[in-house]
Amino acid sequence: MDIYRFNEKMYKSIFICTIVLLSNYISFAQESNYNYDEEKDIYKVISNVTIETEQGNQKLSTIYETSPTILVLIYTRCYGICNPLISNLSEQIQQLDIKKDFRVLVVSFDAADRLSDMERYAQQFDLQNDARWIFVTTKQIKPLIESVNFNPKWDSTIQQFDHNALLVGLNTNGYITKKIIGIRGSNELQAMLKEINNEFIVSYPLPRKNMLFSCFTYNPTTGKSELSIGLLVMLAPALITFIIVLSLIKLGKKQRKTLVK
Amino acid sequence: MTTLSLKKTTSAWIITILVLFIIAISFGITMRFNQGRDINLNPDTFYSIMTVHGVTMIGIWSCAGMMAVNYLLSRYVKTSVKLNVFAYAFTVVGVLMIWASTLIGKFHAGWTFLYPLPFRVAWAKWGTPLFLWGLTLLAVVWLVWAIGMVAQILRNYSLSESLAFQHLSRTKTPAKETPPFILISFVSLIGIIICLVTAAILMALLFAEYYSNGGFVNDPLLVKNLTYFFGHTIANEALYLGLATLYEIMPEVSGRPKFKTTWYVALGWQLSLFFILTAFFHHLYMDFVQPISFQIIGQMASYLASIPSAVVTVLSVIFLVFGNKIKWNIVNGLFFLGVTGWIIGGIGALIDATISNNIVLHNTLWVPAHFHTYNAMGNVLFSLAFFFWVGNEFVDSKDYSKFNKLLLALLIIGGFGFVIMFYIGGANSIPRRYSVYPKELNLGDILATLGGAFASVYLLAILWIFIDLMKKCIKVFSSAR
Amino acid sequence: MKVQLFVLILFFSSASVIALIAYYVFRSSQPTTTNKESVKDPIKKRGIFLFIWFFILAVIFSVTLPKSPYYIFTDETPNQVVYVAARQFFFMLANEPIEPNVPKMEKIEVPVNKTVEFRVTSFDVNHGFAIYNERSELVTQTQAMPGYVNKLRWKFKEPGNYKIFCLEYCGAGHQLMQSSFVVK
Ligand code: HEM
Ligand SMILES: [Cu+2]
Ligand SMILES: [Cu+2]
Repeated sequence: MDIYRFNEKMYKSIFICTIVLLSNYISFAQESNYNYDEEKDIYKVISNVTIETEQGNQKLSTIYETSPTILVLIYTRCYGICNPLISNLSEQIQQLDIKKDFRVLVVSFDAADRLSDMERYAQQFDLQNDARWIFVTTKQIKPLIESVNFNPKWDSTIQQFDHNALLVGLNTNGYITKKIIGIRGSNELQAMLKEINNEFIVSYPLPRKNMLFSCFTYNPTTGKSELSIGLLVMLAPALITFIIVLSLIKLGKKQRKTLVK
Repeated sequence: MTTLSLKKTTSAWIITILVLFIIAISFGITMRFNQGRDINLNPDTFYSIMTVHGVTMIGIWSCAGMMAVNYLLSRYVKTSVKLNVFAYAFTVVGVLMIWASTLIGKFHAGWTFLYPLPFRVAWAKWGTPLFLWGLTLLAVVWLVWAIGMVAQILRNYSLSESLAFQHLSRTKTPAKETPPFILISFVSLIGIIICLVTAAILMALLFAEYYSNGGFVNDPLLVKNLTYFFGHTIANEALYLGLATLYEIMPEVSGRPKFKTTWYVALGWQLSLFFILTAFFHHLYMDFVQPISFQIIGQMASYLASIPSAVVTVLSVIFLVFGNKIKWNIVNGLFFLGVTGWIIGGIGALIDATISNNIVLHNTLWVPAHFHTYNAMGNVLFSLAFFFWVGNEFVDSKDYSKFNKLLLALLIIGGFGFVIMFYIGGANSIPRRYSVYPKELNLGDILATLGGAFASVYLLAILWIFIDLMKKCIKVFSSAR
Repeated sequence: MKVQLFVLILFFSSASVIALIAYYVFRSSQPTTTNKESVKDPIKKRGIFLFIWFFILAVIFSVTLPKSPYYIFTDETPNQVVYVAARQFFFMLANEPIEPNVPKMEKIEVPVNKTVEFRVTSFDVNHGFAIYNERSELVTQTQAMPGYVNKLRWKFKEPGNYKIFCLEYCGAGHQLMQSSFVVK
């Protein structure tokens, strides 16, 4: 009967789907770049230094009190990670359709940088007219970088700082709610946006060996974990049982037919 | 049609199950007295005993349910005695493997063997593979057995008849009736197949890690989900199988008309299959990494699971008994007591399945409190009722013995006394699975001693029942035809 | 009233009611009681009963769900973070993140009546992280799972010396795992 052929087709398509999904997952299994220093200074208040802006000197708090802030530490002479950090961040922000109110405060940690250098730097990324982005300098570099545990080292042979790429998330009370070290995926950025808006994310994964079947892929967009291939493993028993029962029905019908003959 | 060989197999099952039960209870009492500091075991001995107690209990009462269903199924469909004997033989092998790994090899990762604990070997090296292979053997054998029984049902009933879909219409009386026994057995066996397939997948994941020497690593969260999916489901389905026998036998021995499948019985049991598969999330409430939506589903499914199975069955039993002259005897007496115990345990479970309570009850003695209530005072009694009923079949008698008042008293006082100590312990924050309690929690000591004492009373009742049953069970083997 | 006492009373009273109903139903079936009648119109009675039960469950569900640990103290910035890493068979508590293979144990003091966040993980098997107050009552808990960090927020209402026990079976030393911290 046709129904049998239909069943067969269905089994086949289920198996093919499973295999396709599995192979997809394997190729996307990713390394995590988690750095334990990210956990330092969480929920501490950032040093309220005076910053120099185009509108004149003002306290850092006037920025973060108006809206949650991502603080980025760079210097304009950098050949290294600063440029990719900024361009990556601005790209990610453009790609994410973010409804939340927040600002990006780019502060130079190089005493040689003037406000005009920062302006030029902003132009380089076409960010000079973007209201979300503010490029500033400060005279109080030391207290600022100490309060976020950022330790650039000057290397006089290459005339460059040896430093990390660091994003610091500040809520409107100036609390450091999340840090990101290194250039990371947009998931991390979204988690930061949640946390600077005082949303509670109940858990996060640690770096670990690649796991073939992990249960949920953590997705901070929703603040929840998303189902990945592991869920398929959890659904598999019901699916397999379904297939078993269908096969049994088929078998039962066949046996009855032979009995009739 | 029940044949002599089916009776013999069933009798062998009963003898084996009861012997293992008595030993496992003794282990349980030993644990309680150790927690009360009346005796002094090494922690690894304690935890080995705890592991073997847990697996044995879950194992024998699942088997009791399956073999009872197998026996009664022969009234409606052609069943295979060979399959039954096969299941029996390999179950014995599997149990021996597990006993060797725990009692000789001192494997003590708990009956839930939560990953990665089995791989942190603190016992004989061969303990881990022997335990895991023993469990795998049991899972595969029972899987074959359950699939066999489902196949037997499906030969006489179509899929929709097995699920009693034709009974959902309230107006039409269906052409072919599905007895409640068939419906409940079918639904429970499907549940058992799902959870045994889960066990097989779980084992495959564990073996992959064990034999790949670190080449393959599991996700602790996924494995935990699978573990409790398996553990929770098997424990609950075993109870449902016991209920299937209740629906079949209880009216019969009470001199009342058989239960009929009505639309709400049909709907109730169809839904129970669904809820049982998601309620296990309540084991992971304190794992905040679990998606919150799953936690909510867990609480909802745990609540809703009480409606189809519990409420429908309880009302059926109440309507059966209330105001009707019942011929009370040991069989329907045990069923009635079992339903009461099951519901009381269910209340304990519902309280714990509420997330805001779970935060102070999770992994305290409240957990063994509720599951011992619906097992020792619920499911076990359903199975014992079946044993008494089938014992009469063995000797071709319809004369069921009375429920001896002293026996009843021993069961109730021993059983409820034993679990009450667990409840009080749980409400006083005493952790579960502690070989001895730290001095801050030494209230646990006295509760444990009392619990052990009450359990000994319960054991007396079980010994009594054992002796009663043995007389009939052994007779089957001497009958020539 | 603390939750534990409440649920114990709730449990014992429901259990007694169930036992009484069971006894009543049982008595009604004795040959000696003649005046009882069996249930009339069972389907309708069943419907009413199911509805009541469903209603009770729905109310309890909606009242208790918001009290779940994933929803409490979420709109506050914690005053302090405590890092917790569990191992067979001890806890490490520190004010700074703890890296695997770099054991770190510090004396922890947290403020009373302020939100504290515990970031809990494990470096080997699954453990539990349960906080007990001076009266040895379980106050709150979370699981310590390898590979993941669970954030547990709490506001301690009483100062004192709080104990920590392991509430997930983790091997032969499970009952020995403990630690403590001070609430001031
Ligand atoms: C009166 C008889 C029984 C006694 C004295 C007894 C005693 C115990 C004790 C002392 C524990 C350890 C509790 C703890 O966590 O501290 C335990 C655990 C357990 N019992 Fe029983 N029990 C009995 C009957 C049963 C029955 C009928 C079942 C049926 C399924 C059962 C299944 C279990 C399971 C699954 C565990 C958990 C083991 C683990 O944690 O790995 N017990 N029992
Ligand atoms: Cu532990
Ligand atoms: Cu532990």
